[in-house]
Parts: sequence; C-alpha cells; structure tokens
Amino acid sequence: MAELVIMFAGPMGSGKTAAVQTLSEIDVVLTEVANSDRQASDKATTTVALDYGEITVGDDEKVRLYGVPGQKRFSFMWRIIRERAIGMVLLVGNDGPSPIDGMLEFLDEFDDFVDRSAVVIGVTRSDLASSPTLADYRAALDHHRPGMSLPVVSVDTRNRGQMRVLLMTLVESIQTRALIPASASASTSASTSGDSGGEAA
Amino acid sequence: MNGPLHRDENVIERSNEGLAALYEACRALVYATVATDDGFVVASILEGRVQASSMAGMASSMQALGDAVTRELEIGGAEYIIIAADRGYTIQLRIPGQPLVLSAVFDSAETVGKGLAASRVSALDISAKLLTEAA
Repeated sequence: MAELVIMFAGPMGSGKTAAVQTLSEIDVVLTEVANSDRQASDKATTTVALDYGEITVGDDEKVRLYGVPGQKRFSFMWRIIRERAIGMVLLVGNDGPSPIDGMLEFLDEFDDFVDRSAVVIGVTRSDLASSPTLADYRAALDHHRPGMSLPVVSVDTRNRGQMRVLLMTLVESIQTRALIPASASASTSASTSGDSGGEAA
Repeated sequence: MNGPLHRDENVIERSNEGLAALYEACRALVYATVATDDGFVVASILEGRVQASSMAGMASSMQALGDAVTRELEIGGAEYIIIAADRGYTIQLRIPGQPLVLSAVFDSAETVGKGLAASRVSALDISAKLLTEAA
C-alpha cells in the first residue's frame, strides 16, 4: 500500500483535531472557527470542514489523516471523506454527554463504512471522567453489534506514543482485512481486538 | 447582540432584509441563506428543495476550506467562492466584519456578474446595518 486515508470521527469535543495534530508530520490544515453556541458546547472553536495531516509509517507508507466535524449539520463532509477512507478512528470523549450513546450513534451513522472497513474506538478524556469504563463500552458494543468486536482503547490524544499505537492498530487491521475474503471480516475484527494505545478492553 | 448569532433577533431581521433585497435585485435567485461561520442558519429565503440547515453547514465548510486554501497559498483572504454547475451556480461570500456567510444559488438565467454584484451589495448592507446598530 502506498497511501492510506484514515478518518477521525466522533462527537464534538472528543479530540479529533488534537489527534491529527499530535500524529501529523506536516503542519495540519485546520478549518476551525469560533464556536458561536457556547451553551451547546463550551469549546472556544470548532472544526467546520476538515483537519488534514500526514504521517509516514513503515518505510514509505504515507497515511493521510482527515479529521471531520463532530456535528451532524456537517454530515456531508462525513460522506465526502468516507468515500476515500479505508479506516476510521472513532473518538469518544468520556466526559461528554452520554458518551456510549454518542459512540453508538456514530457507528450507526457510518454503518456501511463500519461493515466494510477497519474501525478502532478511542475513548478520550478519561482523566476527567472515570465512568463509563472500557468494559461498559465493550458491553454496549456487544449488545448493539453482536459478533462485531471492535478494538476499544483509552487514549490521550495529546500523547504521540499512544496515538501512534492506536493508528498502527488500525493500519494492521486494514492490512489484515485486505488479505481475507469479506465474508470473514467480522471474525477478523474480533481477532484484532486487544491492547493498543493505553488501557484496552 | 445577545447569545448566539443565530438566535439574535436583530441579526436575523437584518439578514432577512438583506436576502429579500437580494431577491428583488435578482429574480433568478433560487435560494439563499445567511449562516454563522460555524454552520447555523440565521436566515434563509426561497426554501424549497434546499434544506436550510444542510445549506448552512455546507456554506460554513466551503468558506473554511476557501480560507484554508488561500492561507496555504499565501494569497490573502478568500473574497468569494463561485461554483458553476450545468443548471446554475452558487455564490458565497463573507458578510464584512461579521462571523457570517451569505450563500446564494442562482439558476442559469442570471449572469454570474450580476449575481455576484447583487450578493455583494446585500452582504455590505447587512454588515452596515449591524455595525451601525452596534455602535
């Protein structure tokens, strides 16, 4: 593989822009503007189109990193990026409102993508909220999507080491999926679950 | 101004006036919206097949992408964005001095020049009224 396109998705405030900035080897292209509705979210700025960065893995594999906006009113950007992406890092802020519901809503929103592509889930901001636990996320996933075991990892998006491990988990999953028939991909997802960045479920 | 711009009645009223003036100037207008930089609908006109919230989100993203491109190329700020299509075109520009974007769709009966001129005048009018009232 010469180039991989990876999408960073998830609810507003989950750390998508920080994740791309932490990983990227180039200056990140940002489309942040002032957040005019501080009642809905207390963030000062919000991404309205995309974040773009690049990182090289292995000898010469360039990974293109696209962060997409978290709000549904920008869902057309989700459609644009997921047409090109072959993997997704779904970030969920543990201190956000109903983080498990937020994760499940995004998985449903990206339903076709989840079925055909590799996905890892990164739970962020666990230092600010210890609950729910990774086991809670896992149980919700098992209930909502039985048979599809996705890696769930606790990460600090500012920590380059953790983010690199998370990214490599996704890359490995993509490469594994490419080697096997689509019909067996669900079981492959299960086999790639496990330790990744920080604490894993 | 109180609270978010998209809920500020004065901003909404001035934006509606500006869009009405745009329609008066260009009957080939198919749809137009004023949106905040972060994609909330402030006002819209001729809503039909176009969903206002969707258009506002796209306008916000396009403006941010335009700004990102001009920033990367170091050619100054983006003045306006035009997308020409088979059966019409869109014009988008910032409302000067405000975190607002005007986005308009015209059918192919209108010339781009007239659509751009009318859109600029409307954006300037909205800006002038808001700045005057804020002073």
